[in-house]
Amino acid sequence: MKSFMNVFHSEGMKLRKSNIWLLIFVSPLLASLLGLLEVNRDAELNAWPLLWTIMASIHALLFLPLLTGVFSAFVCRYEHNGGGWKQLLALPVSRSGLYMAKFLHVVLLLALAQLLFTAGIIAVGFLKGYEMNIVPWDEFARRACSGWFATLPLAALQLFVSTAWASFAAPLAINVMLTLPNMLVVNSEKYGPWYPWSQPARSMLLISDDYGAFNMPMETLLFIIAGSFIVFLSAGLMYFSRKEI
Amino acid sequence: MSEYIIQTQGLTKQYGARKAVNQVTLNIRRGDIYGFLGPNGAGKTTTIRMLLGLIRPSQGRIHIFGKDLHKHRMSILKKVGSLVEYPSYYGHLTGYENLEAIRRILDVPKSRIDEVLSIVRLTQDAKRPVKGYSLGMKQRLGIACALLGQPELLILDEPTNGLDPSGILEIRELIKSMPQQHGITVLVSSHLLSEVEQMANRVGIIQHGEMVFQDTIDSLHNRAQHRIQIAVSNPEQAFRTLASSGCSAEFNEESLVLDYMPDNKVAAIVELLVRNNHSVYRVEEKRQSLEEMFLALTREGSRQ
Repeated sequence: MKSFMNVFHSEGMKLRKSNIWLLIFVSPLLASLLGLLEVNRDAELNAWPLLWTIMASIHALLFLPLLTGVFSAFVCRYEHNGGGWKQLLALPVSRSGLYMAKFLHVVLLLALAQLLFTAGIIAVGFLKGYEMNIVPWDEFARRACSGWFATLPLAALQLFVSTAWASFAAPLAINVMLTLPNMLVVNSEKYGPWYPWSQPARSMLLISDDYGAFNMPMETLLFIIAGSFIVFLSAGLMYFSRKEI
Repeated sequence: MSEYIIQTQGLTKQYGARKAVNQVTLNIRRGDIYGFLGPNGAGKTTTIRMLLGLIRPSQGRIHIFGKDLHKHRMSILKKVGSLVEYPSYYGHLTGYENLEAIRRILDVPKSRIDEVLSIVRLTQDAKRPVKGYSLGMKQRLGIACALLGQPELLILDEPTNGLDPSGILEIRELIKSMPQQHGITVLVSSHLLSEVEQMANRVGIIQHGEMVFQDTIDSLHNRAQHRIQIAVSNPEQAFRTLASSGCSAEFNEESLVLDYMPDNKVAAIVELLVRNNHSVYRVEEKRQSLEEMFLALTREGSRQ
């Protein structure tokens, strides 16, 4: 455990000094801007769920999957440059430990992005003068958490691709290409739940169980997410442990 | 404790039908500076990657510090410092931070960073981002990284590649000081024999994945052929003179070249030449340079 923490801190240090983590602010800021610009015509009603839907659409449909790909690619970036894997793996580190240290950093950054996003909603609502004592805290917390949880399979998949592909840009380009059709896929009852890029949106946008397009019960979705997460993570771990460096 | 720091038996790495490394037996003793020689693509880096556990051998065994690498990878690598091909670094970090990132993994005291920085003389530049370093400085930082964990064995793959002469000299002196000053055994690979002969006490030569020579540098020297070179006024005529008296030689523009022979035979030949009105300018013993030997050895290897 101690040696894992050593590897974890070493990874953290490389990441902190890189400024890439600043990207966690981008999506909450843009989503907040969108929320501020949206004119609410019916201010008498409880406006919080609507605000969440507006802001979460851009965040969960677009930025969150993109960020997942960026962070996954980035934690491998320095090692892809000029024999970094060789140097790192010739040190007394366990390969699976290193892989997990990288993965944990990706998902921690995503968790921070979710936290900031939620803070952004509250701030926008406050600025617009929404009723502060009816903020649906439980619902927001639940949505933010399940949105984060839904990025795990994607993060595992992207990290797998990023370690396998000795390039920073290629996995990113793939990620962008597969994120863009999200608007369409997310509405498909058949494929949407299985599409890792649309899982964050499905988890974050379902405001209540009878909210229209998403008929699949939350439990089933979470089950699919957990299952694919385990598959992708163990495939990546297995691949990386055997990889010829 | 086994006498050998590194010992491999029948080490083989096969890619498809091609054997990049074929039945390689390495024996490296404690305190050696072992020069691992071979032309580019002969299998040096592949062998080194196997020694560091980066790739798995198709066949054969590796023992480092007397322990099986496959079973004791972590505990062995704790005592090994390495630099494989180009040194890797995190360009956005300073030299100091690069070492710190590795120090955390190795879990050695922080004071080690200053120690290795001063060994490779980078103390002055430690606070600058590495992307601004010269190639020689990066290479030295790579060696500092390798030394950080107080290794007993250093494995350096082409550490002088791409350096200018002063950088090469610097790295060479650094490597030479390792066994005496720090008690470290060194395996250093290179494709230049002249490079290795100035620091190594033992050499192994690999060609097409197979070891063609492994012994002390002295025994490699002894294998070098000695020849006699006689500078004369007209080599071609002198050659005929010798040939007519049944003595085989070669000639070039300035001199005759003969196989090694005892003193009295040399005297007889000089006498013969002088009698036939050739001016003899110089009589020299020529040793085949190690570079030529190396080429001859690797050529033999390629004929097989």
